[in-house]
Amino acid sequence: MRDAFVDTLTELAGEDERVCALTGDLGLDLFDAFQLRAPGRFVNVGIAEQTLVGVAAGLALAGKVPFAYSIIPFVTSRPHDQIRVDVAMTGAPVKIVGVGAGYAYGSAGPTHHAIEDLALMRAVPGMTVLTPADPREAAAATRAALATPGPVYLRLGKNGEAAVVPPDVPYEPGVARWISRGGDVTLASIGTALPIAIEAAGQLGERGVRAGVLHFPSLRPFDTLAVLDALAAAPAVVTVEEHNRDGGFGSAVAEAMAESGLPGRLARVGMPDRHCGQVGSREYLMAHVGADAAGVRAAATALLERTRMRRAA
Amino acid sequence: MSPEATPAPTSVEQAERMRELILEMAIRARSAHIGSSLSIADILAVLYFDVLRRDRPRPDRFLLSKGHAASALYAALALAGDLDEDAVVSGYCADGGRLAGHPERSVPGVEITAGSLGHGPAVAVGLALADRIDGSDRHTFCLVGDGELNEGSVWEAVALAAQLELGSMTLVVDANGLQGLGSVDDIVTLEPLADRFTSFGWWVADVPGHDHAALAAALSIRDRRPVCVIARTVKGYGVDFMEDDFRWHYQSLRETDRERAFCALRRTRRVA
Repeated sequence: MRDAFVDTLTELAGEDERVCALTGDLGLDLFDAFQLRAPGRFVNVGIAEQTLVGVAAGLALAGKVPFAYSIIPFVTSRPHDQIRVDVAMTGAPVKIVGVGAGYAYGSAGPTHHAIEDLALMRAVPGMTVLTPADPREAAAATRAALATPGPVYLRLGKNGEAAVVPPDVPYEPGVARWISRGGDVTLASIGTALPIAIEAAGQLGERGVRAGVLHFPSLRPFDTLAVLDALAAAPAVVTVEEHNRDGGFGSAVAEAMAESGLPGRLARVGMPDRHCGQVGSREYLMAHVGADAAGVRAAATALLERTRMRRAA
Repeated sequence: MSPEATPAPTSVEQAERMRELILEMAIRARSAHIGSSLSIADILAVLYFDVLRRDRPRPDRFLLSKGHAASALYAALALAGDLDEDAVVSGYCADGGRLAGHPERSVPGVEITAGSLGHGPAVAVGLALADRIDGSDRHTFCLVGDGELNEGSVWEAVALAAQLELGSMTLVVDANGLQGLGSVDDIVTLEPLADRFTSFGWWVADVPGHDHAALAAALSIRDRRPVCVIARTVKGYGVDFMEDDFRWHYQSLRETDRERAFCALRRTRRVA
């Protein structure tokens, strides 16, 4: 996804003179082509994330469209005050690009894990939060970030992800897409968690459970209607995200369900409300905290069981 | 009388009028940070009425990073014609008013939203970079407090501005020596300030901060390097019972203080 992002950004730099790229000294060789395409419009501000966002805000207030790149916690948590004040309060069209959703930097340890960013960024007024699922969507989301007025946060995985969204499904912020339909339970996933939901749906299918998969390509705008649509299809929803279960996507779905007044039950799968305390790859850590396909399957099975028990009572 | 017959007010006269407006705003709003605003009235008067080239397609910019001194900025913008003088007095920190205790970019003439300290210098670097990309000769000024220099983000931006040789940027330090809870030297001193900025690669001018000629000369310095103007000021300048007293960072004036405050202002003017 990282390469898809930077390749697209380099194309955009050729098409639109306002586009600039900034990094906080991360991304070895990543911006070489960009620098050739757009000399003078790339700056490595050094290991200084507050300045990364502040400089981006200055460029944006002067009419540029800067993309500020770093690893997610370093570009969302560390300079959050600059995001609030310099970017959001002025409406500056800064595009904040974070790489390493969830445990993507697994073995690097908890400083590099991104489990708070969705909560942080969706609470910022006026912030668009884009959550592509695969490289093709990352490219489309990069274009969408430029096309979207005002501040945008673009949440990427890492690199080398497989294509998961069917090529005929367009990327459109605010429009959730059914990847597959199922009448028993809906697995609603956000961004890079989509492959987990698809795998879990397959496992559930093998056990006779018809699980639909609903992909959210953005957290803001949030597709509330899609949640209602899911409840109409099946009154059981499992959210799947590479983020703390609290405050992110699962919370957004819970809010939409509660405010809809429609009957339905919810289980949220994601990172537990603690730092994982283990060393390992993304896959290892996701399994460890029960946020892999088996964990989603188990959550869906338990949810359906509770629903059946309630009906029987 | 034709307009030509009336000479434009000098920056000294404008600063005096700004102080009156600052006091008026503070009394009406019962607001804090009076000392912080009085401290920079002369700097802003010199900038707005002597230095900034505002009447051009790409006007010079002024960023107030120490946002708690917003009333001084509103006063300058009122005298410069960006804001209505009556609206400034009635709208400052008032229910339903447009002028908050810390400035917001939505206000005409206000370049950045400020109030969380240490933000202005990096934004100034970004604005100056945009001018470099555009080939524009406009100049960007950013004003920070000396207490604000406690913020590490200031020094990130100071290092970067030197690295990029942003000669189109001037950082003004309002060095009144006082911050929220006491003197800067007693809390976290960053003296010798001039040496620090010089060692970071900046052109430094260390000047008396209420001397308009010295300020105008320093603020007009242009170099390959970014320029730092350390303005040695007095917090609460112009109102003798507030001067050099850190308590006027937070203390507010009452309506019953009006006579005493304005008398003090007039007294200072006579002495000057």
